[in-house]
Amino acid sequence: MAPRYSITALRPPESALGSDRVFRYLVESVRDYAIFLLDPKGHVATWNPGAERIKQYTAGEIIGKHFSIFYPTADRDNGKPEMELTVATQTGRFEDEGWRLRKDGTRFWANVIIIRVNDEDGNQIGFGKITRDLTDRRLAEQRLRLLIESVEDYAIYSLDTNGNITSWNLGAERIKGYTANEIIGRHFSQFYTREDVAAGLPEHALEIASREGHYEREGWRVRKDGSKFWSNVVVTAIRDDEGSLVGFSKVTRDITDRKNLIDQLNQHARELELQIAEREQTNLELEAFSYSVSHDLRAPLRAIGGFSDALKEDYAEKLDQTGIGYVNEIIAAAGRMNQLVQDLLDYSRLGRAALGLQTVNVSQAVAKSLQQLGEDPASIAIEIDTRYAVLAHEATLVQVISNLISNAIKFHEKNAEPQVRIWGAVQPGGNTMRLSVRDNGIGIAAQHHERIFQVFERLHDRESFPGTGIGLAIVKRAIHRMDGAYGLESAVGQGSTFWIELPLYGRK
Amino acid sequence: MISTEPLILLVEDDPADARLIQRAFEKAALGARVTRIPNGDDAVAYLAGHEPFDNRTSYPLPAVILLDIKLPRRSGFEVLSWLRSRRDGLQRIPVVMLTSSRHNVDVNRAYDLGANSYLTKPDTNEQLTKMLSTFDQYWMAYNEHPSLGVS
Repeated sequence: MAPRYSITALRPPESALGSDRVFRYLVESVRDYAIFLLDPKGHVATWNPGAERIKQYTAGEIIGKHFSIFYPTADRDNGKPEMELTVATQTGRFEDEGWRLRKDGTRFWANVIIIRVNDEDGNQIGFGKITRDLTDRRLAEQRLRLLIESVEDYAIYSLDTNGNITSWNLGAERIKGYTANEIIGRHFSQFYTREDVAAGLPEHALEIASREGHYEREGWRVRKDGSKFWSNVVVTAIRDDEGSLVGFSKVTRDITDRKNLIDQLNQHARELELQIAEREQTNLELEAFSYSVSHDLRAPLRAIGGFSDALKEDYAEKLDQTGIGYVNEIIAAAGRMNQLVQDLLDYSRLGRAALGLQTVNVSQAVAKSLQQLGEDPASIAIEIDTRYAVLAHEATLVQVISNLISNAIKFHEKNAEPQVRIWGAVQPGGNTMRLSVRDNGIGIAAQHHERIFQVFERLHDRESFPGTGIGLAIVKRAIHRMDGAYGLESAVGQGSTFWIELPLYGRK
Repeated sequence: MISTEPLILLVEDDPADARLIQRAFEKAALGARVTRIPNGDDAVAYLAGHEPFDNRTSYPLPAVILLDIKLPRRSGFEVLSWLRSRRDGLQRIPVVMLTSSRHNVDVNRAYDLGANSYLTKPDTNEQLTKMLSTFDQYWMAYNEHPSLGVS
């Protein structure tokens, strides 16, 4: 085989710059490269300052010595120096990277090129040798490799252009279960599930990475033991200085825990949505139920009340006092039942229906309540700044105030006229407004203050004070739904002050 | 014998309610005749002049309809939307809902479908009589009635 590289003597072309002297001067000024000649046996024939700097020998010390002196003992024992010369002789050129020795015995990482040198007739007269000290680069690479190799949380490995594994770090071993020896040289599709391989995912990843420089996905991967983990994978194309693809780097993280957490969160979210849907369905059913109650349950009540009334009116002369009394009982009972159904409907609707909150003028709400109750506003002392507005649902607030006023009027001492006072005051801090309803009535013992807000709780018999026992429960639920507060101050015989507080919306 | 008194068509399925309403009309001693129809299908048949209501002389078109919502077979809403979709003049008949539902949804739907008024059944005879005499005064005495033919 003809040598591909050769130097025909060390004679530069005949030109102005091309004299032997200039050429020698160039070689002798080079400090970053050791450039020297060997005779055909491998003895050092010339020496330059670069050689002296890198290998520490002076020209006088080294010329005539065999170049194997630069090799570590093990390489010398293996005949490496001679092998290199043989290769250079046969092919014209030999290149290698490896440890070499300085004069003081320390090692340096060398890039070595040996070139066969011929005379003008093509006969070999020796070798040219160029050596670079790449120790710094070598150490930097080694540090980087050690760093990559020691990373445990990330599988970092490299692939050749076909996808065969060329390096393997500790993280890869930990995450995927293979040792470097087991896996280097195998194809990386090994880590994919059978379905993903069938779908061409590994090839797709390399294709995207080589086209776009980068590929990132999450997906299931398979460990050596067959178990699966959810991974985040980044594939990056590696290109040389000319831009040709030389392989890929692959960084894989095991994010199964995070995936599980997200799955759990999603699962919870789905369950919640389902529960909400179910609750909405239940609400719809309740709505339909209460609709039916208000329609169908009250129809017979109207009939009982209506016909009892008709009986009393149209046949009064045929009934004695007792008979009239019985009919009156029926009419009253039907009326109570009707009120009860109405109150329960109001109460249950308050628990479900969305209350759209808006600004409500408080003194207007009080006026509407009095109108609803058929009470003369003049009979009640009202002190409310007419500009106060709160955030509330108007119809609900009117109902709450109605319930409080009707209680205030109802629960008075037998021999006393009811005196009711209503006033509004902005609370300290200025964020809420308190509306108070005070009566001069029978009062409520402290131990009952909580209880009276429960549905059907009554403190008195019906004959003394009629009512359904739902009024204050409606107040409690309504105020709760409007993000307000409620309460009372009262003692037996001292009258009662019921109050509600709602967010102040300004003075309008 | 053919009466010339204007007619109120009462569409009401509950016989007790119907009887109390008719009694209230009598109590108020009102001039109008009240014809009761017990369900939605019959209401449509009556208004359209189908069998057995095909004799307009015996079954004249009403001056106003009192319409319940919850009816067997065809609801008050269905009757109302059928009526309002007519293009032969029937669509002009005033319709007053008379129902026990105070639900906002029902009230709004009734107006959306073209009801002229919405009344809820009162709890006592006294209130009922009072309400129906006001109704009679407004709808039968003061209200200007449309012509019901195509024009």
